This record gives sequence, structure tokens and C-alpha cells, in this order.
Amino acid sequence: MSVLQENDSLPLLEVRHLSKFFGKQLGCHDISFAVSPAEVIGVVGESGSGKSTLLDCIAGRLKSSNGAVLFNSSVGMLDLCRCDEALVRKIIRTQTGYVTQNASQGLKMHISAGGNIGEKLMANGMRNYRQIRKEALAWLAKVEIDPGRIDDLPSTFSGGMQQRLQIAANLVNAPKIMLMDEPTSGLDVSVQARLIDVLRKLVSGLNLSMILVTHDLAVARLLCHRLYVMKQGKIVESGLSDQILDDPRQPYTQLLVSSVLKP
Amino acid sequence: MTPHWILSLDGIGKDFVFHHQQGTRIVVFEQFSHQFYPGSATILTGPSGAGKSTLLRMIYATYRTESGSIRVRHRDDLVDIAAARPAMIYALRKHTIGYVSQFLRVVPRVSALDTVIEPLLARNMDPEQARKKGKALLERLNIPSNMWHLSATTFSGGEQQRINLARGFIAPFPILLLDEPTASLDLKNRRTVIDLIKEALADNTCVIGVFHDPADHREFAGHTIDLADMIHQEMKQPCPEKD
Ligand SMILES: Nc1ncnc2c1ncn2[C@@H]1O[C@H](COP(=O)(O)OP(=O)(O)OP(=O)(O)O)[C@@H](O)[C@H]1O
Ligand SMILES: [Mg+2]
Repeated sequence: MSVLQENDSLPLLEVRHLSKFFGKQLGCHDISFAVSPAEVIGVVGESGSGKSTLLDCIAGRLKSSNGAVLFNSSVGMLDLCRCDEALVRKIIRTQTGYVTQNASQGLKMHISAGGNIGEKLMANGMRNYRQIRKEALAWLAKVEIDPGRIDDLPSTFSGGMQQRLQIAANLVNAPKIMLMDEPTSGLDVSVQARLIDVLRKLVSGLNLSMILVTHDLAVARLLCHRLYVMKQGKIVESGLSDQILDDPRQPYTQLLVSSVLKP
Repeated sequence: MTPHWILSLDGIGKDFVFHHQQGTRIVVFEQFSHQFYPGSATILTGPSGAGKSTLLRMIYATYRTESGSIRVRHRDDLVDIAAARPAMIYALRKHTIGYVSQFLRVVPRVSALDTVIEPLLARNMDPEQARKKGKALLERLNIPSNMWHLSATTFSGGEQQRINLARGFIAPFPILLLDEPTASLDLKNRRTVIDLIKEALADNTCVIGVFHDPADHREFAGHTIDLADMIHQEMKQPCPEKD
């Protein structure tokens, strides 16, 4: 929570009037928000409210029906919904990370932990084997995985370790923003705490922005500066995390906050 | 010459609407104004539910302010907290307004010492120097050194409150908000906290606090705002939501 820019600098990412329809079915509708450098944004709401759809549109995994996703990339401000597809793919590969709830979707389970990290480095042009291995070892340590496990398959890891490996594999290329879809759900509470701790340290050390989709309000409070509350595809309320959780105004937010034990 | 205020509340209003409880609406403040000065202590009094904590949280922007303005001197600017953008609130909380809540919000796996020095690291102080400062303050608040590296999750209420206080006093803030900071402390530690507050006042900090024990009030030459007297009292009866 420490490294935020104090001036209102250009946002790193700005979503403008983004909508996604699946046929007649609404995914998300008219979503607008901006993320500053080093800012962690949480998207909360019940399942089916369109959180993941929104994230997938930003990540270029889904094609939005309407609207723009402006990204302040190394080659200037780009609309990821509109510019050249090859360029968008490259920007997304090198400057964004994407962590899913299900580690088996985000990792290659048939190659080693080190291989999962090395693959990302090679995709970015690194060729020297020793250097790749050195980087992989360093990243395993950063996410608190015993570097001695570098040659083991992720399938031999616990759920929490797989999630931390997924995060390492996404961070090796020093992205500007991480998109995370329910990274802590399905994990035991103590395992979650460790993952959150690792994320907190990484975020404050790397000047990294993050969009975190979660239904866990305690996780949202611990990690996010600001929250957006979604219901039926729309944002119903937004504000600083403590404002949303301690002074919810909208009926739906009040219901959401009062349904859980004090987050 | 009277010194210039550092914080000015002008006609602020706050209500809570309970949408799932027949739309009950509670008005806590209406058209409330007050100025606060550097180096002065202001004690908020009034019965439970009068709005003491609410006022502190509005100043810290944890509660949103529906009407009126909360202007604060932040460096060389005047900022309206009620209308400030998020980046400005982050900056205010980093440099200008400190807040010690009644209960520590413990972050799992973070040591007591790291919890305490976070505000210093946020200001980019050298970690070694920050740890040194943190240890000295924990010592002053009688937290035994073998506890510094433990997570505060398992600490007693009084120990957690002292961690919270250490975190609040570790970095100087021009404005310091204290919500019942001595409520769960023994006499000796309460004395230390009173001393810390006096030192902050001597450093020109504007202290605004709720103190549960009237004995604490006499410690400061500050003045008192009795929220029980406020005009908002008449409005306190829950009334149905107006559409
Ligand atoms: N987040 C909230 N949502 C709804 N109502 C609230 C909220 N916070 C405070 N209130 C209400 O506002 C009024 C003022 O509460 P507040 O906590 O400020 O009182 P207080 O003077 O600090 O009381 P105490 O001495 O018991 O701590 C109360 O009626 C309380 O129920
Ligand atoms: Mg109170």
C-alpha cells in the first residue's frame, strides 16, 4: 500500500463503456474505470455477476462487444480492443499477467516448475540456459517455494504452491499489471494467508498494478486499495476499500457486506 | 495572532440508510462545523452512538461525507477530503492524517514489528533505521522483545492495542485521530500513551480523540466537543427513508 503515485498521473489502464454480450445473455454492461500505476483494484460481487467476463475482456481472452480498453503500454496508449491483433498479443504477453483460480489452466502440468517459469522467459527472447535457470530459482524463492523443487512437476505441488508458481511464472517478465481471477478460492485459510502475504510483498516491491476478482471480502480488504461492486453485469458501487466495506451505501453492497462475518 | 486552522469542517452531514431494514435512516450529523488547530488537542465526548467514531472516520475518509466539506492543509495545498480523488486520499493517509482505531486489524503472517514500521516504509525510510525506531517504540510500550517477530494474531487485546498505537505514533502526522486509544491498557501503559500524545502536541500535531476515561481528559489542556449537544440530536430518532 506504499508506493502509490501522489499526483494524478496518467492511468495505466482505463476501461471505457465496456460491454460484453453472449448472444442475448449479458456478460457485463457499460463498465468504466481506471487503474493507476501500483494501484490494486478489487472487483467483488456474487457469482455470475460478470466479474470474470470483465477480466477476460481486459485480458484479451474475450472479445468485447462494445467499449475500449486503453493501456498505457511501452509504445504509448493503445486501445486493446481495436489495434492490430499481433501487437495486442505481444503487449498482453509481455506487459500483463493473468492468474486463474484453477492453477492447472494457468500452468503446464507436464513440464517442471522451472520449465513453467523458463518458458515465459524464452517467449520473451531469453536463450541462455544457465541464466534462465538462475532466474527461475530466484523466482521460486520469491514466492516461497523451495528452489530444490525446481525440477518437479507442478502436479506434485499443493494447491497453494501451484498458485504461487503460477504467480511467479506471470511475474518473470515484469508485467505492468496482473489480472487475477479468484486466486485464493479453493485454498485452505492458512494457505490463503501465505498467498496473500506473498502477493502483498510482491505488489509493494514491484510497483505492480493489479485487478483482483474475488468474492472474498477479507481478501479484498487486505489487498485492494479500491473496490468495484458488480451485480448483474453492472457496477453498482465503487470507492476506497474501507468505504465500501465499512460504509456500504447501495442496497446490494449492504447485503453483500452484511452476509459475511466482519471482513 | 491566532494560528491558522489545519482542518476545517464546514456544514458536514452524514446519515446511514439501512436498505434492508425498512429503509431506516439515521442522521448522525447535519450542518456540523468546526475548526481544528495545530498543536491543540480536541476531545470528542457524548454518549454511545453520538457519532464520535463516525466523525473520526469521516475525517479519515473511511466514511463518505454526503454534504459539506472537510478541508485539510496537506503540504502547501488545501484539500477537501469529502471530494478528494483516491490518489489524494492515499497521499493524505501517508503524510498528513494518522488514525489509531480502537482495534488493531491484524494481517496474518506479518510480524508485530513490521506492522508498526509500515508507515515509515511507506515514506521510504531505510528499513534498518525504521526497525530501530520501531523497536525503541515497542520497548517504550512494554512489548517484550521476544514478541516483536511474532504475528499479532495471538496477542491479547491490550497488546494488540499497543501495537496499534506504536503504528500510529511511529511516524509524525500533522493530524492524529485517536479512537479510545487507552481503553484496554493498564495504568503504566496508559501513562506512556498520554506522554506520547503530549509529545505529539509539543511537535505541533493536531490531536483529535475519543477517550473513554474522563481522567484522560484532564491530562490535556485541550477543549471538548460534546456531540450530545449537537443539533443533530433532534434528528437521531430513526425515520423512514424518504424517496
Ligand atoms: N458503518 C455504519 N453503518 C451504519 N450505521 C452506523 C455505522 N457507523 C456508525 N453508525 C451509526 O451511527 C451512530 C453513531 O455511531 P458512532 O460509532 O459514531 O458512535 P460513538 O459516539 O463512537 O459511540 P461509542 O461511544 O459507543 O463508540 C450510531 O447510531 C451508529 O449505529
Ligand atoms: Mg466509538
